[in-house]
Amino acid sequence: MPDTLSITFSALSDPTRRAILARLSASEATVTELAAPFAMSMPAVSRHLKVLEHAGLITRGREAQWRPCRITAAPLKDVAEWVGYYRQFWTESLDRLDVYLREVQKKEKQHGRRKLHGK
Amino acid sequence: MAAGNFMANEQQELLFTRIFDAPRKLVFKAWTDPKCVAMWWGPHGFSTPRCELDVRPGGAMLIHMRGPDGRVYPMTGVYQEAVEPERIAYISAALDEKGIPLFELLTTVILEEQGGKTKQTVMARVIKRGPDAAPYLAGMEVGWTQTLERLAEYVAKG
Repeated sequence: MPDTLSITFSALSDPTRRAILARLSASEATVTELAAPFAMSMPAVSRHLKVLEHAGLITRGREAQWRPCRITAAPLKDVAEWVGYYRQFWTESLDRLDVYLREVQKKEKQHGRRKLHGK
Repeated sequence: MAAGNFMANEQQELLFTRIFDAPRKLVFKAWTDPKCVAMWWGPHGFSTPRCELDVRPGGAMLIHMRGPDGRVYPMTGVYQEAVEPERIAYISAALDEKGIPLFELLTTVILEEQGGKTKQTVMARVIKRGPDAAPYLAGMEVGWTQTLERLAEYVAKG
């Protein structure tokens, strides 16, 4: 099975690439526009864009000169879905753990009292 | 009511912290005794018909979680660390809601004493699989930040 979510996470592991995506979530942009806020060469920005493109997080226009970049929602949606599922798993499991710990301690206390009465 | 929260920190891990009104030894037992784990593992309405935990480095974990609809979600993992009563770490496959493995995940549980209560931190970090796994397995983490959370929310809405 292609491990697409890993590729997405890997692409998202770099702060520059996340900043690029954040910028693209506002509107499409050219490489020059994307490079502007970073103290980075154009080839360096292009390398980041290639990683994002490979992960399917952005697409680039075909117009030879400008090739504007656009954000693609699908892989981020997968990440969001998984994070949501995972958050629910732990939030609810830990709620149950909290209840369980209370019950166990209550039982221990009652058990202890009964022992005392028995003496 | 247990104090709890969820966040993605700057080290790019998913973090769940809670304070339990219980001694640390008891919380550690709740994480390591299969009978205890089966009592709380999984979202509301889930049960744990099978729970086998060999809690030591290299030991296996096998948990079958059964949903309200009767569907069973198997989960396997390998313990990396087990230090009583303060620390447990394991690697497991991250599954989607259909139980399909997505990638591997290192989960670390840290228990700290705090005035008779126990502060628990659950940290999860994605471990890359595949041919270019080496740098990640060497300790480089992949994950989330606030930016990603916002992005994810943005696309979830769209």
